[in-house]
Amino acid sequence: MRDALFSFFGSGAPVAMAAAVVALVASVVFLRTRNFLYDALALAATKTGFALLAAALAAGVLWSRAAGGVWWAWDTRLTTALVCGLVYAAYLMLRRAIEEPTERATSAAVVSVLAFLDAPLAAIAIAWWRARRTLPPEGGPPPGWGTLASGNALAMLLAGAALTVILLRREERRRAQDAERRAALTL
Amino acid sequence: MGYFRQVAVVAFKDLRAELRTKEAINASLAFSIVILLLFSFAFDPSEDTMREISGGLLWIVFAFAGTLMLNRSFAREVPNDCLDALIAAPLPASALFLGKCLANYVLVLAVELVSLPVFGVFYNVHWAKQFPELLLVLLLGTWALTVIGTIFSALTVNIKLREVMLPMLTYPILIPALMSAMQLTTALVSGTAIGADNVDSLKMLIGFDIVFTAVSLVLVETVLVG
Repeated sequence: MRDALFSFFGSGAPVAMAAAVVALVASVVFLRTRNFLYDALALAATKTGFALLAAALAAGVLWSRAAGGVWWAWDTRLTTALVCGLVYAAYLMLRRAIEEPTERATSAAVVSVLAFLDAPLAAIAIAWWRARRTLPPEGGPPPGWGTLASGNALAMLLAGAALTVILLRREERRRAQDAERRAALTL
Repeated sequence: MGYFRQVAVVAFKDLRAELRTKEAINASLAFSIVILLLFSFAFDPSEDTMREISGGLLWIVFAFAGTLMLNRSFAREVPNDCLDALIAAPLPASALFLGKCLANYVLVLAVELVSLPVFGVFYNVHWAKQFPELLLVLLLGTWALTVIGTIFSALTVNIKLREVMLPMLTYPILIPALMSAMQLTTALVSGTAIGADNVDSLKMLIGFDIVFTAVSLVLVETVLVG
């Protein structure tokens, strides 16, 4: 059980990271081409990554409880995942706060770039901070978790890709509806 | 007009406007003193515990008071369409951004340098044992706060929920810089110089400043002009 929980976290978090890379690339391409398809892709990838990260974090907390007896032991990996989750939550909230589509897409793309650059710095800072604190040692990954996790990661990757495509189509449909509504209003 | 001249013009314009109206700096100062006061009511700490939490307390105060100031940075230009005029003015967006950054930097630093002695008096802490190094940490940490705060201030200027969104965006991104600044400040207020065990925090602060200053200067044109 413990191994399964850890491998769920250990495979979910890297796939969330891959989603963040997709979101970054899509955001940069949007800023260069102003093609709203890439904005929708950035949004879909960020939402997918956020969902995977939330699931991975939940598994990580359960693993921490099962392995060390505490829900939250300021584990470097879990803390980094939480900080990344907060940064991407800010991205999603900003999108909700802006009405105008072009402004929303541009601002969101800028935040996406800044958020992506922040993640490695946060990971390093948290690792250094963790090393200085007198906290109980971190539970290491269980032996043989790699095979379990890599199969898991493949499944997660496929699920993530499917989710991204669904969200992308939904976003495009919404955009088309929005365009029609605007056209109707100007008539 | 050369680039740095343009930066200076914007910075002095902002400083002059702020010193005449004092709308943000008064609020920011009053706010930081109130937080310092509230903390001492809440914890009643001894001198030793105070030193241990000094970095965290001070930087939370600075970050809160800072966003109060940064919120006004671009919002001040909205009435009378001043922002449109500034964007249309013959100066690059990065010069406008850098000028606003410098003005905010001076103002936030001023609030910090007033809060520090107040902190020392309220909590009975000799905070100035390592003053030059503490000043260096203040300068680096405040620059991180100002750069991130100013770019997000530009980004959120047209949003209805501006006052809510700015801290929501700023604090998570600032975590690496704030962590390092807090750690260094705690050590320096306790009287230990920066040594082998915490020089990495200083590197993190410098790296954060460089990375985000560079990226903000590149992206600000997109943020302001669209």
